[in-house]
Amino acid sequence: MITEVTITEANLSNSDQFKAELVGLFDQYNKIIILDLQELKYVDSAFLGALVSSLKYGMSKKLDIVLVGLRNDIRDLIKLIRLDKVFKIYNYAEEATFAINKA
Amino acid sequence: MQSATDKLVFEFGNSADKLISSLEHMLGHISSCIPVGADTESIMFKCKVIITELLTNAIKHAGNSKTLFNIDSNATRLAISKTDYGMPLYLINTRNNSAADNTKINKRLISADPLTSLYANWERENHIRFSSEEGSLDDFLSVEQVMEHFGILIITNSSDEFTYTYHKDTRSNVFHVLINF
Repeated sequence: MITEVTITEANLSNSDQFKAELVGLFDQYNKIIILDLQELKYVDSAFLGALVSSLKYGMSKKLDIVLVGLRNDIRDLIKLIRLDKVFKIYNYAEEATFAINKA
Repeated sequence: MQSATDKLVFEFGNSADKLISSLEHMLGHISSCIPVGADTESIMFKCKVIITELLTNAIKHAGNSKTLFNIDSNATRLAISKTDYGMPLYLINTRNNSAADNTKINKRLISADPLTSLYANWERENHIRFSSEEGSLDDFLSVEQVMEHFGILIITNSSDEFTYTYHKDTRSNVFHVLINF
């Protein structure tokens, strides 16, 4: 399922809510989440922590979070702390969907 | 707020509502300080993630006291420091407790997962330099092993030097970051 994140700032003020919503999506739909982050301009460590924590929850249910639409600087930040080794990242949702269906 | 050609002093009220405007204000100043020939894109990226984490840290830990940012640059490097009067970093107390047992220990692993190990290096009392090492990924079995706290790691990996000092006399916490142009 493709989920568009419509906020432009993801930081400690909304990271708990973000995680709760992702966990809720896993519980409700029981599907891999393709997270479209193209609107996101600012992130901090609290958001990245929430993302990892949500991924752990998804993995415990044999599901996954796939990231798409990342701005260059957010992709660079993810690489900086090596989370690109943890998350599957694609440029576009269609690319991610194709890869998931092929797997 | 006071600004000069290569120096900015900025007071932050520790409010999450002001995080982005404060970040943009400081980045605006920095963009005018980067010398011709330097990798502007890379430096601005580093400054963006470092200042974001320092602001986040202030919101989380500085309490009601105001937080002061100092940005200073010359032809070869940029220095960013953040001073607040909140509680000292938790590592300070752990070092003081263990120092009596073994004063020779000056490097301590503070977090580790298969991706990265993060170290605190005590250079003198109440003064820590942070460093990190990449893991080999050979032991990477599952996402469960991955840590969820990245603030110190982001600053360490983005900077050429990242230190923390607790000044007992003024009860102030000073994070200091250097970026070479």
